[in-house]
Amino acid sequence: MRFHKHDPYLADADMTPMIDVVFQLIAFFMVIINFEATQADERVKLPSSDLARPSKVKPDQELVLNVGYLRDAEGQPIDPDPYVFYAGDEKIRIPDMLAKLKLEAEFFQRKNNLGADDSIPTSVIIRADADVPTGMIQELIMLCREAKFEKFHLKAKAEEPGSS
Amino acid sequence: MRFARKSGGYQRIETQMAPMIDVVFLLLIFFMLTLKVVAAEGDFSINMPIGAPAPANDELQLPPIKVRLTAGENGELTGVFFNNRQLGNTDVAFERLNTEILTMIGRPGNPLTKDMEVEIDADFGLQYRYTVQAISACTGKVNAKGQPVKYIEKIKFAQPRKPE
Repeated sequence: MRFHKHDPYLADADMTPMIDVVFQLIAFFMVIINFEATQADERVKLPSSDLARPSKVKPDQELVLNVGYLRDAEGQPIDPDPYVFYAGDEKIRIPDMLAKLKLEAEFFQRKNNLGADDSIPTSVIIRADADVPTGMIQELIMLCREAKFEKFHLKAKAEEPGSS
Repeated sequence: MRFARKSGGYQRIETQMAPMIDVVFLLLIFFMLTLKVVAAEGDFSINMPIGAPAPANDELQLPPIKVRLTAGENGELTGVFFNNRQLGNTDVAFERLNTEILTMIGRPGNPLTKDMEVEIDADFGLQYRYTVQAISACTGKVNAKGQPVKYIEKIKFAQPRKPE
């Protein structure tokens, strides 16, 4: 029995589209990761300070609290009370935050194998709007302390040199 | 003189649009990634340990540093006081505060500054931007080269002054 010898069709692998697709994927994941890392809420207009520099060491555990106003299209606050924008969609008034903070504290205490009365090494990052009354931020810090947090970081927007 | 004419005549070169579009998209995404969408954020750390009052340092009596900020009805700044001394109510007041702090610590990086602590006592309604300005003025200064120079890094808040 004889086999016919076919012309060998060598499939030339075209690398260009593959590289294109791989680059697109890399760019896509870079964008996704950047957005995930910040946990910032765009409704909060941070105060600016020329001394605020991005810290070189990031705390390994952090709890980000965004405090700001609900604003209309012109930027005027709709509600005179500031809210904590919690977990993306939830809006909680500052005096009502204690229950949530206690839940968070419990989570971090379990994560670090701490007792219920131990203070928590987790940093609380406060991103507050420039127009929020200072007393409200102090109250929020007091509530955090009641929930056993003790390290706080106040975020400010870094001013570009010479822009002030 | 005669020119030899190619036997095949003109060859039509077909432009391939697909790779060009791919490259253009890649460039677009690259520039979108490099563009700074949001200003960099920095933070000021506030340390408020639970239950432990500031350790009394018997050997070294450091002068207390109290910064009092008063507010008007709409939360605007009406006065900056450094250890009960009025410094003004404009941006210049924060520059004066910065100078006072520098006078007190002698020189930036003085080892004494590790034990020094500034207490910020602000009116309840004061807009948070002024508090951040005051914290910034106590924490340090940006020198002529654009490098931050640290003064006193320990900042704490006094008890909130609740409106009656």
